[in-house]
Amino acid sequence: MTTIPDLIDLLAASLKPVRRLRPPLERAATWLALAAVIVALLAIAQGPRPDIATVLRQSGFLVSLSGAALTGVLATIAAFMLSLPDRSRLWILLPAPPLVLWLSGIGYQCLTDWVSVQPGAVTLGETVRCFATLVLTSLPLSLALLLMLRYAAALRPTSVVFAGSLAVAAITALALSLFHDADATIMILMWNIGTAGLFVALGRIFGKTMFSWVAPRPDIHLA
Amino acid sequence: MTSGPPKRVPLLTLVKAAQGTGDVSRETGEDASNDRALNWSILMAHTQAGDAGAYRRLLTEIVPYLRSLAARRLRDPADIEDSVQDILLTIHAIRYTYDPTRPFGPWLVTIAQRRIIDRLRRRGRLHSREEPLTAEHETLPAEQTNIVDEMSDRHELHEAVENLPAGQREVIRLLKLKEMTLKEAAEATGMSITSLKVTTHRALNSLRKMLSRGNDDQ
Repeated sequence: MTTIPDLIDLLAASLKPVRRLRPPLERAATWLALAAVIVALLAIAQGPRPDIATVLRQSGFLVSLSGAALTGVLATIAAFMLSLPDRSRLWILLPAPPLVLWLSGIGYQCLTDWVSVQPGAVTLGETVRCFATLVLTSLPLSLALLLMLRYAAALRPTSVVFAGSLAVAAITALALSLFHDADATIMILMWNIGTAGLFVALGRIFGKTMFSWVAPRPDIHLA
Repeated sequence: MTSGPPKRVPLLTLVKAAQGTGDVSRETGEDASNDRALNWSILMAHTQAGDAGAYRRLLTEIVPYLRSLAARRLRDPADIEDSVQDILLTIHAIRYTYDPTRPFGPWLVTIAQRRIIDRLRRRGRLHSREEPLTAEHETLPAEQTNIVDEMSDRHELHEAVENLPAGQREVIRLLKLKEMTLKEAAEATGMSITSLKVTTHRALNSLRKMLSRGNDDQ
């Protein structure tokens, strides 16, 4: 068994200079910039929804849209703050007010239109296109966030995962409400928060091994 | 809402600041602990730059503090030592997350609490499905494991063998205790295989009688 003095010797011997993390706000801004790029690329690829001019004049849509945008920004900041050991746990509450604003605007759902059966043809419904946008937006964003916040696995995995998923969900919802005329908020939340919840639950079951593949490891080898 | 610390703080400034505060306020205990925290934060900044000496000093200095933190939640000394090691490993792995413009204490304490709670949870999991092994648990189906019983049987058996007539004793010793084949035993004793078999049969019979009598006595 290694004793503490042995361990200290080992750690000191394997010490390498490290680059400090950039301030959390700066890193949050970097990630949000990535999100903006992805949404912009999708906008070019898919084009805005046909009735964009009409809905942008509806106050309900604007409230919901800005709620989603604000939730995205604040949840991102919360995730980056929570990931640092010396910041308060209360940062998790930061995205709560705009989240209420965003969810208050939930209207139609595109949950129910997976397949539309018409005379002579079975075509994929709007839901499938919704789903494609959803995955295209949330997957790269989630992966980027996972990489940027991987060290948080050793600290507060649950709250960081939730804040991060909320950020991804909000930005995905923003993208969807600009590109599709059906509101997919519930689907997005189910997809993102549900997946996050699944990961956290699995993490509870499997203990520390869950995020260990992505968590930073000390670059030493214990005898 | 946020603290936007400057991107790069030259180490020199920090060291200077530390000496400054140290000179002015060394009177009270609170100041002393402030000094200590400031000192750790400087050592950590040097560590991030790759200074192994500062790192060794920092780790050695924080170990008693970490031990006292762990001792508040854990009772088993081995658990306390293990969780201190866990904390040191975590510090090593995420040392780049420390910002030297911020106090070192909260950074350290959060990491320490996480690892101590991990240790507590692991304790909880172990206790919920494991039980320490006691002497009673050692009586297992396999005969070799019941050493205590076997010892007394062996003793009794040896005594019984000693009480056999000389010829029978020799045959039992060779065939059963030394596990020779009939042929080997025949060569060793000069007896024929048939007479070996007969003698063994008689010897076993008398042993059986002796041992069952012994059991009846008990």
